[in-house]
Amino acid sequence: MTFNTGDLLYIAPFLVLAVSGMLLVLAEAFFTGKDRTALAGITVAGALASTVVSIVLYRHLGPTSSRLLFSEMLVADRTGYVLSGLFGVVAALAALLAPSHQRTHGWVVGEYYGILLLTASGMVLLAQAANLATVFLGVETMSIGVYVMTALRRRSRRGNEAAMKYFLMGAFATAFLLYGMALVYGAVGTTNLVQIQQRLVSGNLGLLTVGSFLMIAAFAFKVAAVPFHMWAPDAYEGAPTPVTAFMAAAVKAAAFAAMMRVFGQFMGGDKLPYGVIGWASPMVVLAALTITVGNIAAIRQDNIKRMLAYSSISHAGVLLVGLCAMGLGSASGKAAMVYYLIAYSLTTMGAFAVVSYVGSKDNERLDIEDWAGLASRHPAAALAMTVCLLSLGGMPPTGGFFAKFYVFKSAMEAQDQQLLWLTAIGVINSAISIFYYLRIVTAMYFKDARGEIATTRSAGLVFVMAACPLVILEMGLFPNWWLTL
Amino acid sequence: MLMNIGYGHFLVLAALLFAIGTAGVLLRKNVLIIMMSIELMLNAANLTILTFARMHGDLGGHSFAMVVIAVAAAEVAVGLAIVVAIFRGRRHVDVDKMNILKH
Amino acid sequence: MSGNMRARAVTVLATFVGVLALALALVVGSSGSVVTDASAQPGPTAVKPPPRSATPAGKGVSDRDVVTKQAEAGKPAAGKPKTRPGMAIAFWLFAAMSVAGSVFVITRRNLITGVMGMVGTFFALAGLYMLLYAHFLAVIQMLVYAGASMVLFVFVIMILNKPEDEPYATTGKAGKAVAGVAMAYLVYRLASVLLSVDSTVTAPQLAAPAATSQGYDWGSTAAVGWNLFNEYLFPFEAVSILLLVAVVGSIAIARPLKDDDGEVLADEPGAASQGGA
Repeated sequence: MTFNTGDLLYIAPFLVLAVSGMLLVLAEAFFTGKDRTALAGITVAGALASTVVSIVLYRHLGPTSSRLLFSEMLVADRTGYVLSGLFGVVAALAALLAPSHQRTHGWVVGEYYGILLLTASGMVLLAQAANLATVFLGVETMSIGVYVMTALRRRSRRGNEAAMKYFLMGAFATAFLLYGMALVYGAVGTTNLVQIQQRLVSGNLGLLTVGSFLMIAAFAFKVAAVPFHMWAPDAYEGAPTPVTAFMAAAVKAAAFAAMMRVFGQFMGGDKLPYGVIGWASPMVVLAALTITVGNIAAIRQDNIKRMLAYSSISHAGVLLVGLCAMGLGSASGKAAMVYYLIAYSLTTMGAFAVVSYVGSKDNERLDIEDWAGLASRHPAAALAMTVCLLSLGGMPPTGGFFAKFYVFKSAMEAQDQQLLWLTAIGVINSAISIFYYLRIVTAMYFKDARGEIATTRSAGLVFVMAACPLVILEMGLFPNWWLTL
Repeated sequence: MLMNIGYGHFLVLAALLFAIGTAGVLLRKNVLIIMMSIELMLNAANLTILTFARMHGDLGGHSFAMVVIAVAAAEVAVGLAIVVAIFRGRRHVDVDKMNILKH
Repeated sequence: MSGNMRARAVTVLATFVGVLALALALVVGSSGSVVTDASAQPGPTAVKPPPRSATPAGKGVSDRDVVTKQAEAGKPAAGKPKTRPGMAIAFWLFAAMSVAGSVFVITRRNLITGVMGMVGTFFALAGLYMLLYAHFLAVIQMLVYAGASMVLFVFVIMILNKPEDEPYATTGKAGKAVAGVAMAYLVYRLASVLLSVDSTVTAPQLAAPAATSQGYDWGSTAAVGWNLFNEYLFPFEAVSILLLVAVVGSIAIARPLKDDDGEVLADEPGAASQGGA
């Protein structure tokens, strides 16, 4: 149980992100001048370096091998490194979105970049957590970072208000998470997830059940699952668009990474989820509610950011289906979840990049009517948005289609076909969701523009707008490689 | 029951404090009171952790509680910073009057 | 804040401190027989609710029960179930104090009074931690919460300069009703579960636990430190990232607005008119 220097190697993605985050905080302190684009460059470099390190470690480890680090606080395995790599990429994309948005909308804040990377380091902790203490720490590092980022647009009352609501709801959820962890700890006498897995059957069942239910409620807050979703549309609308993108893509993916560890991997397995602890029964209800309510609410939205917020709520529902399938012993559940998280994150980043691109100073163009005729003025942006929306709606040949397809397929493979009804609900809702995604597409292509549409241009923004749809299409056309991750 | 204090007493007390904190979050409107209620909930969870640590004879619970205290302090700092930022703009900290974002 | 108000706050605080001192004296008095049995290995064990004995807990527990429970909890086998009035009185004092303080927080209109109630709750919790032999955590609790967090609250209340606040929110809303029902259900489930833990209650369980395998007193600074720098080394170090985010973030959010921080956004309806509300 002593300190092992070799373990440091396996948390290199975390270390790279944390160290570059600290350097950025320092750099901001000594930075003179108004332009913070250089900081964005360092951020991208740091985030991508952590992704590269993740890839190297991924290749270093075998497909099934895993290694426990630091007195079993963390675990190094391939799933963890795939998700770490994803968080690195998303952080880099969020850094690319920021400079032009900050300049255009007057919130040039250099701290954004440092906090972005430190937040991402918290997410990497979640992807590699093997102990409830690490899960708690990761969730909190991530959440506190995102509260701060939401509030960074300081002159904006919307931003402050969104940060306050997000903070209060998030802190409330944290209390539930901690209390749930305390009860699980009481039931089994350890916070070590590996040992928890071994003692699930012998532990105090009542405590385990209540504890895991409380933890599910807390995580449902974090991923904005119905009925714990009320903060999400407000926070998404009020936060600056790059932060919204980061929140929608990375925070949700990280929360699901933690849930995959805690529930899918360590508290899942053969007969456990329904039979012994019963965490799957509230989770399927949450999933069904989340998919349906998210979709129905999205139909009524006229603000694009709110619509994307509700759509991301609905996506959280689909991910919950995948989680249930994973916990119920579906062999392909984990691969489907990872594929979904990658496709969903990149699609969301792409969509918000276009939202950021279409806005200009004093006019963020967040109403769907503002997008009328975008295709005639800015065809490339309209095309990028269309690909992202099709992917969100789950249409072929995009990554979103296969993501949904594989998640539902893994749900069908769950024991005794218990999730068949959930799959049906999911498929019906996917059909409904196409309606409101196509509403934006219709506005862009089939309505006349009302005057000139001024845009925010920058190389980073354009790169994100181009890269995300391309990768999504690649994921849709050649899904096999991505599924082996 | 009264003179033989056991773990159950501590646990029920913690649950009670947690419930009081939850009630505070749900019933009060003032941001500072809500934040204090959340602190109370975290403390109730900490009491639960320490009780179970004692029960299982596991010092890991103490270290966990220590981490929780640090996290709670950080959360308070950020929350109060947001309160100050909001108050600059609108001079009240009433959650129900925050209505720029439509519901 | 009126002088009357301040006097009341001081009285409340003085009462809390007095109660605390009394309770501490009781704890010190009752923990005279510290048993250190190195052979009893404190270790995490799977805890099952032991068979419920027909007699009320603690009064007439059979020897077999005591032995199994002691083995489960890793306690030294010495010591018959005997009542410890000092500990019981201290527990009830601290429990009453913490509940009273927390009820104070959620019912008072005055923010400073609320903070005082919170401070009282934190002191009482520190006392409870001591009853649980978490001495180090008790000190940290007082230092961090009562010493730092609450001072921060008081500072912000002073910055806002608006201690009076409207009382209860309207509770008639459907959402709050649903939340209330959910909470009631939760408390019901929780209490039933926690009472099942209660069945393991015997007095010796609150006797001094065995020393750690390194020979430190359980819950002492040395013992917690040893655990913190071995098992919890990584979280302990990683907390620094979180604290860094909090420090940098708080400064970034709350520092005074400068001219180059951008203007108030045009997309905000009634931004100017709401300022004085």
